[in-house]
Amino acid sequence: MDAARRAWGLLVTCGFLVACGPPPDVTLAVALLPGELAGYRAVVDEWTAASGMRVAVVPQQYADIRRAIAAEGIAGRGTLDVVELDVYSLAPAAPDVSVLDAADLGLDGEAVDRAALDAGRLDGLRFVPHRVSWQALLYDRTVVERPPDTWDELLAVARAHPGRIGMKGARYEGLTCEVLPFVWAAGGSGTVFDDAGARAAFGLFAALAPYLHPESETFKEPTIAEAMARGELVLHLNWPFAMSLYASQGLAPSRIASAPLPRGPAGRATVLGGGYLAIPRHAPHPQAAAALVRHLVGRDAQARLAHELGWFSARRDVEPGGGDLLDGFVAMRDAVRPRPERRDYPALSKAWQEAFRAVAFARAEPAAALAAAGGRGAR
Amino acid sequence: MPARAWLLAAPLVAYLALLLGYPIVVAVTLAFTDAATGTFPSVENVRTLADDGLFWRALLGNTVLPVATVALELVAGLALALLLSARIPARRLLRAVVVLPFALPEIVFLTIMRAILAPRGYANGALAAVGLEPVAWLLPGRLATWVAVVIVDAWHTTPVVFLVLLGALAAVPAEVDEAARLDGARGLRRLWHVTLPLLRPAIVAAVLLRGLDALRIFATPLVLGGAEGVPVLSTYAYHQWSDYGDDGAAAAAATLLAALAVAAALPLLRRRAEAAA
Repeated sequence: MDAARRAWGLLVTCGFLVACGPPPDVTLAVALLPGELAGYRAVVDEWTAASGMRVAVVPQQYADIRRAIAAEGIAGRGTLDVVELDVYSLAPAAPDVSVLDAADLGLDGEAVDRAALDAGRLDGLRFVPHRVSWQALLYDRTVVERPPDTWDELLAVARAHPGRIGMKGARYEGLTCEVLPFVWAAGGSGTVFDDAGARAAFGLFAALAPYLHPESETFKEPTIAEAMARGELVLHLNWPFAMSLYASQGLAPSRIASAPLPRGPAGRATVLGGGYLAIPRHAPHPQAAAALVRHLVGRDAQARLAHELGWFSARRDVEPGGGDLLDGFVAMRDAVRPRPERRDYPALSKAWQEAFRAVAFARAEPAAALAAAGGRGAR
Repeated sequence: MPARAWLLAAPLVAYLALLLGYPIVVAVTLAFTDAATGTFPSVENVRTLADDGLFWRALLGNTVLPVATVALELVAGLALALLLSARIPARRLLRAVVVLPFALPEIVFLTIMRAILAPRGYANGALAAVGLEPVAWLLPGRLATWVAVVIVDAWHTTPVVFLVLLGALAAVPAEVDEAARLDGARGLRRLWHVTLPLLRPAIVAAVLLRGLDALRIFATPLVLGGAEGVPVLSTYAYHQWSDYGDDGAAAAAATLLAALAVAAALPLLRRRAEAAA
């Protein structure tokens, strides 16, 4: 009886140990969609095979990763070795991550887009581009034969399809990413509300307002993508993930295609987004973490991520993947601009949002809305 | 209280202190801390809320929505309980049908409702089929959006009130009802003067239970109309936290919501104690 009990105890203990496994050498928190995990895991496994170090990949939302490293910063010790953060989170997260060595990571040459790399410099290089992203125009090619190439053509499409032009007008950072490309495309700086570019962009918004889909006031990325899939929209702006989503639903590229954003008086522009890697200040294994980062931003890993997940790389020596699905995004590559780098950026961003909402949904005069935003942004 | 009783209660007290007391203290501290300077106490977050029109709409929503949904649930739940406590054919099956919306996972239920109420959804499709204009069910600031949120939330949670009142009706002594009948009380008079007074403790319990639950309504307005469709304090706090990363403003809104819940619970608890007495 005792022997049987001992054998069971031993079996349970062995099972427990096998199930738990040894602790990982490196813990990586990264914002992945469920469909991306297997492909990403394969790229990480290449490093494990070469280095012999195990990696725990923890899929998390950017906001949760930012809060986690902030909490670890307060606690003075941590569990995360490498984290991925979105561009919007870089400034607030900067105090909680270590300064990196570009040369050590193989990023000091001409291979990496300078503007993308500079966006990660906050009192030194703290974040390196893991993937870069920007918005393009997504349109229903069964309704709109040719995507609008200029603001006038955009307005013509809106007039021809009232209520079927969508903009992400909810109160959040995504709205700023809708507004700034138009301001920049008209020659505006994006940091002041009274330049000619801001006035021209808001004039366009006022002209588009009567033709916007009624739910634009609450649209965010997923809800506007759903509305397009349901056939309620003929065009909207979105990030590359939306095209992957449509492709998985069989809607792209047959029905929904991507195109460059319409050209403004000063050309085209779009906002830089994407994910940046960093090593938290209290990472338990900083050496191994640096080696993993070097692998992930290296040419081979970036090429695989581009090919298998359709990600855009900040490396110039990596061809974009995704085939013709992402043509519109590829065409916008040279028009990508980072958001204004200012300590008060959140207040500035909110002011742009309020100004757009006033013009698009409350039908305020553009000049009055911009003047009010100027007051708010300056506070 | 003897020491042994304290000892037995200690695990629960520790659990509550750790998972309830500590987060409350942190949230209140966060609500009254200026994130920019780290100053405590500070009313900076309260000022942020006061300057935001959406906050005032959320406060209004947190007043109107619980009252409207609980009133609708009470009327519907009572009517269904009275109907299905009577000896009618297939009443067991009908009771199961009434409880079904509550059994559905909330996010599944709400996603279906969103597809039904979308601008080109099934509801507007049905209206168009009979020659009526489409209704903007999900747009911010519209009466139709408020109505949609109230009806959807009530539909989902009426089974709670129904089950509480059905149980109470089953406990009403048959002889009381019979005596009223013999005395000539009929229909609404019997309901008003006999049944409802006997159901009063159960009604108070149902209102208390659902009223407090309705104060923290979150998923229904958020899924149907986003943070701005029919804003309430919980969706407003979530909006500040997730969209703006403003933990202090979110904590201030959540603290206010908690204070409202406590303020609402006290008189209801007192009334329940009186009803029980």
